[in-house]
Amino acid sequence: MAQAAEQMLDRWSGGVCPFEAGWRKVMMWAFIITDGLLFAGLLGSYGYARIMSARWPDQAAVFDLRLIALMTFILISSSATMANAVGAARDEGARRSVSLRWLLLTILGGAAFLGMQAYEWTHLIGAGARLDGNPWGDPLFASYFFILTGFHGTHVLIGVIVLTALAIRWQKRLASREGVELAGLYWHFVDLVWVFIFTLFYLV
Amino acid sequence: MVAKAGLLLRPRLYWATWLTLLALTVVMLVADGLSVPRLAFLVVVLSAMLVKASLIGAHFMHLRFERLPLALTVIVGLLLTGVILFALIAPDAVRIAAMSHR
Repeated sequence: MAQAAEQMLDRWSGGVCPFEAGWRKVMMWAFIITDGLLFAGLLGSYGYARIMSARWPDQAAVFDLRLIALMTFILISSSATMANAVGAARDEGARRSVSLRWLLLTILGGAAFLGMQAYEWTHLIGAGARLDGNPWGDPLFASYFFILTGFHGTHVLIGVIVLTALAIRWQKRLASREGVELAGLYWHFVDLVWVFIFTLFYLV
Repeated sequence: MVAKAGLLLRPRLYWATWLTLLALTVVMLVADGLSVPRLAFLVVVLSAMLVKASLIGAHFMHLRFERLPLALTVIVGLLLTGVILFALIAPDAVRIAAMSHR
């Protein structure tokens, strides 16, 4: 017991990495936690509005679930390609082109997701959805739609920009392996948030 | 050492995770299409959502291969705050809905 306590003190007394991760990675995790809490707040307030609303519209009547399912498929697939990009980048025996190829596929997936989201927004705005009202019921329905998907879409857009810059830098041997891993953490976080939005906003 | 080894190429794990995520998404969509009781539907889709989130965190974000203090910092930080948010807000929302229907 005393030995275990001593070992813990050694690990946390400074001069070592208690998480066995570089400071950039720890900071990326700190960012992900704070950004996650932001989305938790948004989804929490959405839940509040949803429970107290007497006339929340039926999502199946408003959204084309086939399109949303396709968007989900693309984002999940882009997460898998990103994981492979990180794996290939960390493998010192692998050629840089392998990781680059997975990165480009991820960017393609992100761009496709954004294109479909733009189509969905255009379609709903054309049908009368506005930030302060909509033809289907509770005005908060459209407000939360634009805020939740808009906030998430902005994250995807930032991810696509970051990944594009990373791919160029990786090709020019200016980006580090850790840089690819950090970009991967961000991209998986964006996918993770979509899992919650897809379930709580589009299905439940 | 385990953490470092875990972060090396693991294509089989990534694609297995991808397939599981897709399968769970299909289950959720099928549950949405079927006219199952509301409570059963909620249990299915919310469970699938939590499993999907765990898989992404554990395998794609490599939390499973990180040191336990880092994984716990992330999981407890996010989960605890999320639970507190919903547990504190939801009863109020139900109460206000009941009051507005009087």
